[in-house]
Amino acid sequence: MASEVLAGSATPLPVKRPVGPTRRLWATAWKRPEFKVGLIIFLFLIGLAVIFPFFTELSPVKISVKDKFLPPFFLEGGSFAHPLGTDQLGRDLFIRSLIGLQNALLISFSTVILMFLIGTAVGLVAGYKGGWVDTILMRLTDAQLSIPLIILAIVILTITRPTPLTVILVLALASWPAYARVTRSVALTERRREYVRGAKILGASDLRIMLVLVAPNILPPIAFVAILDVARMMIFEAILGFIGIGVQPPTPTFGTIISDGRKYLINAWWIATMPGAFLFLSLLSLNLMGASLERARNMLLRGTI
Amino acid sequence: MTGKQATLLEVKDLSIELIRGQERRPVLDRVSFSLEERAVLGLIGESGSGKTILAKAIAGWIAPPLFRKGGQVLYRGRDLFGLSEADTRALRGRHIGYIGADPGSSFDPTIPVGVQIAEKLRAVRPDIPMAQAAKRTIELLDRVRIPSAARRYREYPSQYSGGMLQRAMIVDALVAEPTLLVCDNVTQPLDVTVAAQIVRLLRDLREDIKAGILFITTSVPVVSEIADDLLVLSKGRVVERTTPARMVAAPEHAYSRELLERMPRIWTEQPPLRSTVDAQAARAKAGGKTQPILSVQDVTKHYSVPDRDRFFGKQIVQAVRGVTFDVFPGDNFGLVGESGCGKSTLSRLLSWVEPPDSGSILFDGKDIATMSARERLTMRRGFQLLLQDPYNCIPPNLPVGRTIGFSLQVHGAGRKEIQEKVDAVMAEVGLPRELAERLPIGLSAGQRQRINIARALVLEPRLMILDETLSSLDPMEQARLLDLFEKLQASHGLTYLFISHDLAMVRKVCTRIAVMYLGKVVELADNQTVFMKPAHPYTKAMLSAVPVLEEKPYRAEDCLLEGEPPSPIDIPEGCSFRPRCPLAIGRCAQQEPGLKVVAPHEYAACHLAA
Amino acid sequence: MGFILTFLARRLAQGLLIVLVVSFAIFALVRMAPGDPARTILGGMASDELVEQTAREMGLRDPIIVQYGRYLAGILQGDFGTSYIKSESGGASMGNQDQIRSARASVGSLIGSTLPYTLQLAGLALLITLVVSIPIGIAGGVHAGRWQDKFAVYLSSVFVSLPNFWFAIVLALVVTAKLGWIPSIGYQGFAYTILPAIVIAVEMSPIFIRSLSVSVADTLRQTFVEVAAVRGLGPRRILYGHVLRNAAVPILNLFGVQVGALLGGVLIVEYIFDYPGIGLLTVQAVTQRDFPVIQGVAILSSAIFVVVNILVDLAAARIDPRLES
Repeated sequence: MASEVLAGSATPLPVKRPVGPTRRLWATAWKRPEFKVGLIIFLFLIGLAVIFPFFTELSPVKISVKDKFLPPFFLEGGSFAHPLGTDQLGRDLFIRSLIGLQNALLISFSTVILMFLIGTAVGLVAGYKGGWVDTILMRLTDAQLSIPLIILAIVILTITRPTPLTVILVLALASWPAYARVTRSVALTERRREYVRGAKILGASDLRIMLVLVAPNILPPIAFVAILDVARMMIFEAILGFIGIGVQPPTPTFGTIISDGRKYLINAWWIATMPGAFLFLSLLSLNLMGASLERARNMLLRGTI
Repeated sequence: MTGKQATLLEVKDLSIELIRGQERRPVLDRVSFSLEERAVLGLIGESGSGKTILAKAIAGWIAPPLFRKGGQVLYRGRDLFGLSEADTRALRGRHIGYIGADPGSSFDPTIPVGVQIAEKLRAVRPDIPMAQAAKRTIELLDRVRIPSAARRYREYPSQYSGGMLQRAMIVDALVAEPTLLVCDNVTQPLDVTVAAQIVRLLRDLREDIKAGILFITTSVPVVSEIADDLLVLSKGRVVERTTPARMVAAPEHAYSRELLERMPRIWTEQPPLRSTVDAQAARAKAGGKTQPILSVQDVTKHYSVPDRDRFFGKQIVQAVRGVTFDVFPGDNFGLVGESGCGKSTLSRLLSWVEPPDSGSILFDGKDIATMSARERLTMRRGFQLLLQDPYNCIPPNLPVGRTIGFSLQVHGAGRKEIQEKVDAVMAEVGLPRELAERLPIGLSAGQRQRINIARALVLEPRLMILDETLSSLDPMEQARLLDLFEKLQASHGLTYLFISHDLAMVRKVCTRIAVMYLGKVVELADNQTVFMKPAHPYTKAMLSAVPVLEEKPYRAEDCLLEGEPPSPIDIPEGCSFRPRCPLAIGRCAQQEPGLKVVAPHEYAACHLAA
Repeated sequence: MGFILTFLARRLAQGLLIVLVVSFAIFALVRMAPGDPARTILGGMASDELVEQTAREMGLRDPIIVQYGRYLAGILQGDFGTSYIKSESGGASMGNQDQIRSARASVGSLIGSTLPYTLQLAGLALLITLVVSIPIGIAGGVHAGRWQDKFAVYLSSVFVSLPNFWFAIVLALVVTAKLGWIPSIGYQGFAYTILPAIVIAVEMSPIFIRSLSVSVADTLRQTFVEVAAVRGLGPRRILYGHVLRNAAVPILNLFGVQVGALLGGVLIVEYIFDYPGIGLLTVQAVTQRDFPVIQGVAILSSAIFVVVNILVDLAAARIDPRLES
């Protein structure tokens, strides 16, 4: 700080173009090897999930009794016709996993966007407004945080019919409080920042300050780390499917595939484990990217990048 | 340790570099000097001269991105850079004590201050039992005049005031009886009256501690009070070694002369020519009564904080307690006071970020409280406030041009108008045009403050409140901005209200001055009166504590204050200044003095003021 | 001392409010469920008249607020209602028309008999989590940017990517079925707790590892830590006496927030390992639409959450006095 003050002079000295926080965040994350590893795996899996179904005869839902319980290619009796083997109804596990991945990504991305919107809106209002608005909103958040997400989701889904839309709604409704908390705590400190007071002195309304100044300033760092929640929501989506209250069969989801396979664990262990490994890999790619973005964000908040 | 002339510390050709990525620049360049046992050596230099890094190098605190390029630091003949990790540790704290400029964050916030000092003593002197370490710490806390030291021993850093923490840091440095004491800018974060107490304390301690002291500061008057010898550091180099007396009388190096030039002046400075009294008289002659542009009438603001010791209890912080003053068009009004006096709360009230509890604020004769939302928005165009911290008051994510244009946008201006006005105002305050597209990241404090000014100015206000606007800038930049303010005043007919703790600046630019203490205005008069014959003992004490090289019109020794301002939660009965006042009489304890006329246009809140 | 009482009083009042909100929300949700609880109890063969009569006896036709009030009054007397399905003997009593209400198990006793198992599982899981994440997290924070840090990042990324239900299946398959090392599935002794606990620990530890390294690294950057070295304190004393102390506060808070996730993890894992705790009880209740049990569990979990968070705040304020206010 001292040296910057010293550098202060009337002669302009913008040497290089200063880079905004978002760009610095990306650049820092990009420098970390785990980000690249995660991105490569993720792009590969996405590409596979989007393109492969067009170029194959394999169907995720077609039952073929003669092909049932075929092992994956690396076991005796397996072949590349069914790289991950087949299930109890002879459906190909590879194509089922790919379609499952498509569904999981769709659901979890939509969920995260929804919960981000709800959570940050609540958090912004609570943190910026303060007072009784804050108290009420935060006690509500506490109340919701106090019931495990999974119990809440289960209760709601047992009384409604599970469709992709209800799953998204339920997961988002059950997990926005985390975003509300984070946003609120940032908004609280932001509210006390001088630039907010400066804008008030200029005569700007609260809404304008919140939307034009505060939100663009605090939301991007929170948004980047939301990628970790995409992974979390994929797990939850799978759990719901696993206990039978997620997206219903015949639509393949990781949860239902693994739940089916669990019954044949001893004789055909690959049905439960192979799609799970596939899910694990997808999650890993997201989490690796998320971890490096989170790290970059922490550095940004500390002011070290 | 034997003769008085033995060398305690010798720095030989010390060079330190900063290496960060591609950047590589020297911070210290072949610095050499020596310090005798029990002597006091002053080291003076401006911010950026490398003096703090020199202090840290001597305390063995050089870490990347700083690297030693060459040279030695010899403590009693042993090179600190040649020592093993264990040997360095044995010296640190035990033989070399260090007091920094940041007492507020130098202690662990989760452990009582006294316990930490005792812990440090035990770390460097494991032979001392805990009970004895605690006893010694309490004795020393008492010695540096921390009231009720035994109780304070158990209190946490957050319960200490800044001055108190600096005293505790002194205890921490002295507790192990070091032979070398490094004091790095110890008075910098403190208010003038408290800083003066700390310097006086160190001067007193000098006699009974057996340590050589390296006293680092930016202020020639402060160092003159304490040092035997003086080094002048500029851009990482020692440019002159002299004595304080010679430095003041006959500085040799050009930089030393420049430094002296820049030392603040108060009594030899001329107040601004225009005095309000004259201006008012002139206006009165021109016909009609003048109406104040801003009128503050008996404004109060209290905050309640939860009381830790009572069930659902509340404590009342009386931040502003009935403030009244008028600002007239064309005035340069100064509002001065030390931290905690309520001037920042008052600034919040004036800018109507929050309303006062009682009393009223009138702009152009109209009470802001009774204005409609629309009127208030119009009022804001005419009445702007520039904030203190140029780093935080500008939104970090908007390009500079949009930040300035935001003001107009709020007031509903069209695109084209915004563009034109932004361009014009940027030119006027001296910001290069191409900056408009950039984010404020990486801009200097001066440039940010210009953005801030432009943002207010673009609304064409008539009254600008400058809340410590210049205090974070270096003197050169400060002078440039003051020039700019003067120019703007001439061209736009602005009225300024300066809120500041910088008395030299206020002396230079303000026509009328109000002095605040514990939420009240204790004195209000024109510049010359406040500085030359203040009527309130607090004004006198504060002025006498300002470190300057000039002759003061009254003896500082007569009016130095004891203790620190009381907390605004526990305001003493009667006159709130009474517990620290050297002149207090019986009446002061019973009756709170109001602001009364002591001479035409001169007011003071003191029973003794005639 | 006064502040602790004030603090406790305030937090308990807030906590009570939270539990009330949760219980009402769950109560209302459950009442919105399609299907008549009386029908659930009596089974599909019962006549409509009988169902209607039973429903009236049970108060199911009263306004929801009245039902809720009755439910709350019951809770105050320690009565969490009776299961629709489970009998005292433990078996299901579905579809038995002659079944009288007294024979059905009370939710309180169902929770009471399963809670010890769940506490044992959660306790062991927490222990493993701490044993794994404390050293790794601290090392990652202290040696930021070095291999310890990278190890912490990769390990937590792998752990957090393991879906708990799948990992549980794989562990049961490999460790119990194929290798026969540690028994699992059901409960016949303490050994049956180990695998489920590992699965929960793997789910929990990444969060702790990450936060711990961030928090330690942040604390290390504080001025007082740098100054401590200059003041003459040794590196060990600084780390153990000051850095970890300060870094513990965010971790405690995190623990408070994670209690919910811990309970959620317990639920799934118990279901997979057929572990006779509250989780299994809940999943069974869900599949059988045994709403009194679900309600009881939800209230219990929010009460646990509230209590743990009060304890966490007390502990945090004990460490950092600034948090008292």
